[in-house]
Amino acid sequence: MGYLKDERPTTIGVEGGWNLGAYHYKGSRLLEEYVAGLKHKKLTGSFCPGCARVIVPPRNLCGRCHRKMDGRKTVSDRGTITCFVVSPPIYKGKLKVLGMDPVEIGLVKDGQVVIPVFVKFDGSDSNTDTVLLNADPKDVHIGMRVKVVWAKELQGSLADVEGVEPI
Amino acid sequence: MKRRNVAVIGCGQTKHSSRRRDVNVAEMVSEAVYNALEDAQVSAREVDAFVVGNMPGFGGVAQPEQWIAESLGAAGKPVLRIATGGTTGGSVGQGGYYVVASGLHDMVVAVAWEKHSDSKEAGATTGLLHVGLGNFFHAAGYGLSLKNLVATSVVGAAAGVAVYQAMFYMHRSGCGIEHFDMVAAKARRNAAKNKYAHLQWPGCTAEDIAKTDIVTYPFRYGHICPASDGASAIVVAEESLARKKAKQPAWFKGLASYTDEENQLQSENFGGVGVTDPSEQRGCWLSAVKAYRMAGIVDPKTEIDVAEIYQPFPSQELFFAERLGLFDEGTAWMALETGETEIEGRMPLDPSGGVNATNAIGSSAMQRILECALQIMGKAEEHQVPKKVRNALAHGWGGVTNYSTVTVLGDTPGR
Amino acid sequence: MEGKSEIVEVKTFPFPAGFNWAVGPMMERFIRTLAGRKVLGARCPGCGYTYVPPRSRCGQCQAAIAEKDVVELSGKGTLISYTNAHVAPDGNGNLKDLEKPIVVGAVKLEDADSVLFMPVEGVKPQDLKIGLAVKVRWREETKGAVADICCFEPVG
Repeated sequence: MGYLKDERPTTIGVEGGWNLGAYHYKGSRLLEEYVAGLKHKKLTGSFCPGCARVIVPPRNLCGRCHRKMDGRKTVSDRGTITCFVVSPPIYKGKLKVLGMDPVEIGLVKDGQVVIPVFVKFDGSDSNTDTVLLNADPKDVHIGMRVKVVWAKELQGSLADVEGVEPI
Repeated sequence: MKRRNVAVIGCGQTKHSSRRRDVNVAEMVSEAVYNALEDAQVSAREVDAFVVGNMPGFGGVAQPEQWIAESLGAAGKPVLRIATGGTTGGSVGQGGYYVVASGLHDMVVAVAWEKHSDSKEAGATTGLLHVGLGNFFHAAGYGLSLKNLVATSVVGAAAGVAVYQAMFYMHRSGCGIEHFDMVAAKARRNAAKNKYAHLQWPGCTAEDIAKTDIVTYPFRYGHICPASDGASAIVVAEESLARKKAKQPAWFKGLASYTDEENQLQSENFGGVGVTDPSEQRGCWLSAVKAYRMAGIVDPKTEIDVAEIYQPFPSQELFFAERLGLFDEGTAWMALETGETEIEGRMPLDPSGGVNATNAIGSSAMQRILECALQIMGKAEEHQVPKKVRNALAHGWGGVTNYSTVTVLGDTPGR
Repeated sequence: MEGKSEIVEVKTFPFPAGFNWAVGPMMERFIRTLAGRKVLGARCPGCGYTYVPPRSRCGQCQAAIAEKDVVELSGKGTLISYTNAHVAPDGNGNLKDLEKPIVVGAVKLEDADSVLFMPVEGVKPQDLKIGLAVKVRWREETKGAVADICCFEPVG
């Protein structure tokens, strides 16, 4: 039978805008450290002196024991998939990235399946949100071993990590 | 600590739908407030103060409480606005309890709302940008590329961290996508019995939901909550007023709200996330333990009669039910299979249809409290659970996906 | 990190969030009626307080105000306060100088109790005074939009 409909009259609208780019946001220098490491294929995490967790990318404070995470530790670029989700095939007109069509601007091939994953890199205690490349969606599973796919030209930027691929 | 006994004595809502463009936000919120006052049989004059809230940014009004106060009957009275993200309504409801239990006021109205259609973007996009944009700009400054963003957009299309939560829960409990179909179908079916709900589909079946396309596995379009316009309000009073005004007040017996580490995709400053399972929801578990202790509830499995769980996505009804102690770890989907969570089941979950059928974000967690009050007062009409309701459990979820509100309402104020 | 700030300014780019606020039935009627060069108010059936523009709930006595309580006003009124504005927001969080000052007046319309804040034109700054009789100056072509009211100007 389907959904019940609720039809209502529409009154005039008054239009307005709110420029969210007008804010003066402040950030920490932690990402600067992180991307400097990426240039040398190093994944940097912060080390908690309280609970010994290593968080990648680094954080200022430990969310559990609230200690300053001043220590640094380089973790492996190999890790384990702790979670994954699978997109349907992405065709032209299906998805928007910052208002642009990812197929049209060549970010994905027409009909490509995208697999976002959480990866726990060896030596870290956190999930890093990235994407699984060069894998058949049928083979992906929690516990799958993966390694970082580094960009051809490392520039010291977040884009240096293109994603991960099966080992 | 000395606390006064406090109860809900009246409930009011608006009809929820995608586009309440027949009214402005002040008129919409006022509709819920005056419905609640009528239900409680009190006049606006008798109300001492107002606790209000919606999500910051979502409706594009920076200080809505100042605009709408007069329309609510709040001019010249204390107005307190609370905003805690997705839990806003839960915090507003609990705020109503605090100001009365403390002795500050004797009778207050707590009201929460959202008007998504005042945003030009689809659904909750504008509001979510307000939440995540600072972090995004920060990462963009360090070379986050469009290519990196494809995965984020795929996840974003399926409501961000919720789709990961679903996968975590499937992996550790053994539940399948078909169980999400069943929860979503139940929500739409139940909503058809609730005249204020949004996505109403009489007799909806899991097969109907299974026919909808995958957004991002394991979520289908049929699993996703709507972006609703609407408001909900409760009248909250201290004991002597409550006994005078209501035949069966719905008493606040226990409540708590705990947070945990951030567990969105990335934490502040784009740092890593220490909670490796976002469906772990320690904040919910801590809130439940505290609220049960305050309410004198020892065994929630037998003492809670009905629960309204904050479940924009069907997976959340299942793992939150476990976090709230209503089912053993990893078993909620089995109870779903045997019909235990239906309106007439042993442990009805979201008889109103819940957030999965109606999501006016700021108001959603308030609706859980309101729906529990209706069940205790026996006023839930078509979706009233058939058994006697002594204790009802209202849950809210939000923050940076780490914050929960838990409220236990009962038919007696006793602990 | 010695000698180096741990805080960095985050570079942003314009990111407009668009809104389209529904005005509701009373305000809609007010706006549409402007096309016929008429100003509507709403008289509270409970206490007689008259709002312009009309609204659906009385802030004074909480009575519901309905379509039947809508009244037509003369469009004439009295200046009860004013200010000379020399700067205006530039849209980027700063102020910009105006070419010439704008007079913004608080106008209480005849038979109304609430106040409209509108530009006042056609009067020299030295002639401005509280109590000045003013009336609506209509845009040449009125089409049922808020902008149909151009400003207020002195009567006569």
